[in-house]
Amino acid sequence: MSGRVGPVLRMSDDVDAIVAAIEDDNPGQQVTVVDRGAYTRVSGEGELRVTRASIERHLGREFEMRQFEELMSAFAGRIEMTSQEVRWQLGG
Amino acid sequence: MARLPREEWYDIARDVDWDLSYVDYDEVFPEWMSGTGKVPREAWAEWDEPYKVTYPEYVATQREKETGAYSVKAVLRKSRVFDQLDEGWKSVAKQHFGAVALVEDLAAYAELRMARFGLAPAWRNMAVFGALDETRHAQISLYFPHELLGRDPQYDWAHKAYHTSQWTVAAARATFDGMMMNPNVVDVAVQLPFTFETGFTNVQFVALAADALESGDINFANMISSIQTDEARHSQQGGPTLKILVEHDPRRAQWVIDKTFWVSARLFSVLTGPAMDYYTPLAMRKQSFKEFMLEWVAGQFADQLQDYGLKKPWYWDEFLAGLDTWHHGLHLGVWYWRPTVWWNPQGGVSPAERDWLREKYPDWEDRFGPIWDVIIGNINAGQAGLTLPATLPWLCSLCQLPVGTAGSPGNQRYPVRSYPLSYDGRTYHFCSRPCRQIWWEDRDTLHSPTVVDRVLAGEVQPPTVEGLLTWMGLTPEVRGTDAYGYRWARAYPPGDPGPAGDAGPAGDAGPAGDAGPAVTEPSNGGRPVPVNALFAGDFVTQLVTLQDTDTVDQAASRIAAQVVGRRVRSREAGLVVRLGGRVLPGELTVAAAGIGPLDSVDVSWDAGRVGER
Repeated sequence: MSGRVGPVLRMSDDVDAIVAAIEDDNPGQQVTVVDRGAYTRVSGEGELRVTRASIERHLGREFEMRQFEELMSAFAGRIEMTSQEVRWQLGG
Repeated sequence: MARLPREEWYDIARDVDWDLSYVDYDEVFPEWMSGTGKVPREAWAEWDEPYKVTYPEYVATQREKETGAYSVKAVLRKSRVFDQLDEGWKSVAKQHFGAVALVEDLAAYAELRMARFGLAPAWRNMAVFGALDETRHAQISLYFPHELLGRDPQYDWAHKAYHTSQWTVAAARATFDGMMMNPNVVDVAVQLPFTFETGFTNVQFVALAADALESGDINFANMISSIQTDEARHSQQGGPTLKILVEHDPRRAQWVIDKTFWVSARLFSVLTGPAMDYYTPLAMRKQSFKEFMLEWVAGQFADQLQDYGLKKPWYWDEFLAGLDTWHHGLHLGVWYWRPTVWWNPQGGVSPAERDWLREKYPDWEDRFGPIWDVIIGNINAGQAGLTLPATLPWLCSLCQLPVGTAGSPGNQRYPVRSYPLSYDGRTYHFCSRPCRQIWWEDRDTLHSPTVVDRVLAGEVQPPTVEGLLTWMGLTPEVRGTDAYGYRWARAYPPGDPGPAGDAGPAGDAGPAGDAGPAVTEPSNGGRPVPVNALFAGDFVTQLVTLQDTDTVDQAASRIAAQVVGRRVRSREAGLVVRLGGRVLPGELTVAAAGIGPLDSVDVSWDAGRVGER
């Protein structure tokens, strides 16, 4: 069992900002980013989160959490989504 | 206007439900549809989706997704991108559209069944979104290829495929009916959203998008990855259902996952495997099919199983071993039987591509190289007719894929062979032990006649290759041909690997392709005895019709004629026929030797008189 969790982002202009937001929101986590062109796999061990506030800071514009769905074509782990953050985890 | 955050009202709105007083609960939610089984009805109240979305949010998000996908398409329409796409790559898209577009429609019905018969209001709510999602997927998957119709009639099969009984469609239909239509909705939720949509569709819709973008098919990459953003949400119906089922009936949960995983793995080996490892141009391949499967299915999905307290399926080692062989055998089969598909399979075994295959799959050369060498030799000797079918591979009664392709030539552990089962007065053949076991346990919901069954039942008239192609709906202009007119094979130096010799001891492989001989009726006299025949060294077993008045030697020649000089190199040697492991005397008749209809008959070279020409 690898235990790695996190989103798989589809190609878009916002991928870099989302990755930066995830890195901000998970201090102390080793965030791995694998870029395969049409998709980018972002993962951490056991748990990863991203907040609306961080995404807005990196995008430089308003962002509704529901819009995260447009960017994410898959994910690893169990997901929990609120209007302020998304969380992926295993063993919860 | 200030709005309440979703979290403050969502659960109340979502859980709106009421006690029934005018009708019985069991009439509204009958067991055969709702499928609660050992789970107490009240347990479903705990159903809680992890991926919450309101209806206004859903509409806003879907609108933005659609705008994105269609605006990219509108821009590209004016470009010449399509004209520059590789023919091999176009086959990936054609295969995808035909195999997938109307399965999306079927999935809409599966979601609607959960929206109606799911035992928790939260679940029914989420399934409504799922049904709307799948409707969008069917529409977009029909709309995108529609504009290409004028350029290539094979795109017509985006819509046509599921209205036919073409053999891969029959296989997919059997798999998806068993997954979405036949079972109760608890099983549907574990099979479709959990096992299929979290495990497998990612390989076709996300991983394949990587190859699509690299190949320059921006439209296709954009479309499939847009579709998958919906799946990421509605597939989350699986988790909460599974959690409750595991708590009350873990054996059922494990079984439902195990059987769905296996048939899905078989199906993706013919859908996604050849697309990634043979059709996608070499320079554009991001990873091998095996690597993508390890990333998405063996790794990510196996983690999910463990997270829910479940075990890996009992056949896990066999599945992993199959990642090295299944799709290679299936590619070989689709390519050899190419007139039976609606796309143009790219051979994909040029010297450079072969090096890549050997690097990614160290056993590839031993397993499949000798067969491709015979094919390449025939092409370069001007005998391409010998690379076209004159009969049918035998199809597994569960996955409906050719028997033999769950193993590989020269493979001791998983050999090319049938796993037969006698039931209710007839013999059924399976590609593997898991297919046989799954069919046996759940044959009431999984049994569906294969194309071979239909031929044997006399549904295909005339029972010739041409008659079969017509019966499957394959009009001449859409029948598959080699994507590049054999260019890949001509890259081999002349005389290397050399012609395959003549067409075997029978000296008559028969004409191939359109004018092929009857596949079920012997040419004259006797009573027909259709058997499931394997010639040693081949990668599939085939339907060969013997006559009961044939001698065993003549029967051996009939079987050899379908293989020797076509996929197995000719030798100066006699033939040995075995039935159930027993060697049959050559001079006996088929009837006297005890060979009956639907028996497995094995033919091999006589080891005592071996000598290659």
